[in-house]
Amino acid sequence: MKKANKTVSVLLTVAMTLMLGGCGAQSAADSMEDVVTEETAVAQGGEETAETTEEAETAELDTSERVDLVFYVMGDAPADEEMVEDAINDILLEKLNATIDMQFSTWTDFQQKYSLELTAGSADLIYVANWLNYGQLAQSGAFMELDELLDTVAPDLKAAAGDANLNMCSVDGKIYAVPCTWAEYVSNGVKYREDLREKYDLPVPDSLENFEAYLLGIQENDPSQGLLTVTTEESQGFLTAFDAAWIFNYKYSWVNINGLPYGLTADYDSPMDVYDYWYSDDFVEDMKLMKKWADLGFWSKSALSDTNNSESYKNGLCVAEIAGQNPNKQITAIQDFQNDGHDDWESEYIAYGEVNGVIYPGHATQNATAIVNGCQNPERALKVLELLMTDQELNNLIQAGIEGVHYTLDDQGVYTNLNPSNPTFAYEGFNTWALRNGDYKLPQESDIILNEMFEKYEEIGSQTKFPNVNIYDGFSENYDAYAAERTAVSNVMKQYLAPLQAGLVDDVDSAVEEFRRKMTDAGIDVCREGFEQQWIAYCEEYGYK
Amino acid sequence: MKIKKNASTIVFEVITYAMLTIGALVCVLPFIIILSGSFTDNTTILTKGYSLLPRNITLSAYKTIFRAPKDILQAYKMTLYYTIVGTTLGLFMITLTGYVISRREFKYRNQVSFLIYFTSIFGGGMIPWYLMYANVLNMKGSTFAIWFPALMSPFLVILMRTFIVGSVPEAITESAKIDGAGHFTIFTRIVLPVLGPGLATVGLFLALGYWNDWYRSSMFSTNSETWELQFYLYDLLNATTALKQMSQSTSISTADLPTESVKLAMAVVATGPVLLLYPFVQKYFVSGITVGAVKG
Repeated sequence: MKKANKTVSVLLTVAMTLMLGGCGAQSAADSMEDVVTEETAVAQGGEETAETTEEAETAELDTSERVDLVFYVMGDAPADEEMVEDAINDILLEKLNATIDMQFSTWTDFQQKYSLELTAGSADLIYVANWLNYGQLAQSGAFMELDELLDTVAPDLKAAAGDANLNMCSVDGKIYAVPCTWAEYVSNGVKYREDLREKYDLPVPDSLENFEAYLLGIQENDPSQGLLTVTTEESQGFLTAFDAAWIFNYKYSWVNINGLPYGLTADYDSPMDVYDYWYSDDFVEDMKLMKKWADLGFWSKSALSDTNNSESYKNGLCVAEIAGQNPNKQITAIQDFQNDGHDDWESEYIAYGEVNGVIYPGHATQNATAIVNGCQNPERALKVLELLMTDQELNNLIQAGIEGVHYTLDDQGVYTNLNPSNPTFAYEGFNTWALRNGDYKLPQESDIILNEMFEKYEEIGSQTKFPNVNIYDGFSENYDAYAAERTAVSNVMKQYLAPLQAGLVDDVDSAVEEFRRKMTDAGIDVCREGFEQQWIAYCEEYGYK
Repeated sequence: MKIKKNASTIVFEVITYAMLTIGALVCVLPFIIILSGSFTDNTTILTKGYSLLPRNITLSAYKTIFRAPKDILQAYKMTLYYTIVGTTLGLFMITLTGYVISRREFKYRNQVSFLIYFTSIFGGGMIPWYLMYANVLNMKGSTFAIWFPALMSPFLVILMRTFIVGSVPEAITESAKIDGAGHFTIFTRIVLPVLGPGLATVGLFLALGYWNDWYRSSMFSTNSETWELQFYLYDLLNATTALKQMSQSTSISTADLPTESVKLAMAVVATGPVLLLYPFVQKYFVSGITVGAVKG
């Protein structure tokens, strides 16, 4: 009896140690990798079949067997999900003997669920984007290589997407995703109140000096009016620490809004020529301007601890927004003013690129679709993707729902939702932003203003050195080697850079001095070195020289 | 029979009452602010901040929430369903398990108990857990996946076992056995009748757990009709944040996103029923928690 007890306890101890060891070694990333390698094996099997079909020379895709595909997208499902799916599947069954089932991540914990979905491998088609770590996921083998498949199965899709865009979606020289074909300008800029500017006869705030004059003019004429509600919330990451610093995009023609991470920067015309900003004289001068503005009372003394009030512009609590704005937010502001009964308020927008001459559409990896590694029927999946994007009927169906049930088009072909207060299928109700096709996209009323802005930007963009190419957003940094230093740098930014950029320091020179010293102590040089290497390799790979 | 209080007792009571009052205020005030905020006009909140009494009273926040009453009622219905099914089955299984591992005559009770306790310290982690339910058991998308994983928890099993050991002396079950009772009779006729507080406590824990859960819906639901109430509300909020963030990099519609007052109204809608239920179960709850303590 006693012996048996001992045996049991020894066994349990062994089991426990094993489990402990397992816990330590098998981190989440590892187990993910395991699954991915397994999937790669499956994928290679899949490729072989692809090759055999190629040998059969343009033989039509064998659609004798019905295939049910899962399309994983972000966000919440529309109320009429099934109705629209059925309508799509009717067509898909007839044309390709396939169906799709949309699955939604919901907006809760979506990053985590997205990686789980890839690990579990239950989806076939999946939405990918740079903000979902497309580059790193592709590198670790989460998606299927599409180079050959695009040629053999979906040449139309390849032509529609265009080589330039596909090239932007390639990782280590292989294409893993098909981008949408609608060039969208998400150019950051300044939103301001045109009606107030006219009323007090102030300059258009299209430069640092004019912006200052615009705010000063309003302050003089109406001291009770709030000017800016800048906080630290639009300035996360390694570019800026306080929203007001975004205004310097008027001054510099950098490769990216706010430059490169870790206080580095490069001009758009010479992206490989990385130089320093935080340790330069320009930086000191800029911080002095911020102090001047803070002393003039352009923003609250408690700005560093305020939480972002995204509705302050809408409610007239501020007269300009300078951080995190884009053309679409300008449209929203115009609509908000109308809906709230502020008909006399007028919002105007100046993209930083209009002033500094660097403007480009969103990067191709902003919205794209990939095939999950381990998908059993990659050919059919790609073919379905091709139809969804290039067949006008299907494209309109998946993007806007059923005409007459969910929306109508007027004489000019402008889209109106039939149930705007509580849409059962809103515009792009499946959140398939990656299926936007520039030729078929149904224009909404707001798109008229938007397209005017885009046309203006496209013209400026076409005159740059890399006409209408978004360089920075295709880059994904791998900071595993200097993660500790990176965290330290991030803390120093919050603690020392934020007050500087908010102008809330007594003496700029000594504060800059202290900030630089702390940065060096935190190990900024290690981060910079690591980043620069990867950045230059990236520029070389894609030919941004 | 009046006991005369001496000075130190009075001082002590004054301090105690003062502290308890402050403590109660700290707990109650946020609720009042939430309640008043949910009736306040959104612009007023943004321009003037929160207040104890609602200014510019409006029902618009509740109108927004109940704009699609079908959805929220469905979520309520599903949560009730999960709570009732989960609590009933969970109580059943936890009580039986607790009874079995409390019996001295069960030879391997220490080993079995160990296996149960072990999982309270060492778990497989999130990814294996997810893959188990999604890929191995293939439960993803079914309502089963939402109530099944939470049926038993080691903590509640231990709690129940302690209850049983504490409230049913070995001698009683032994004498019942001598009188010819089997385990089933002992359990139903002797153990269950004295287990009231234990059942109430464990039941309340289970029910609260089910009522407040959103995570399993987030992980396993593929259809919004099976969502739990908490997840329905939580996702509404998350969608706001996510869409606002996304609108920075791509053009999507951000109109009609919930506002401050809507968030507060959601909190009221979600916590209301629990608040109403609490007073009725509370007396069991208190007596249940102190059951293991020394009694005179």
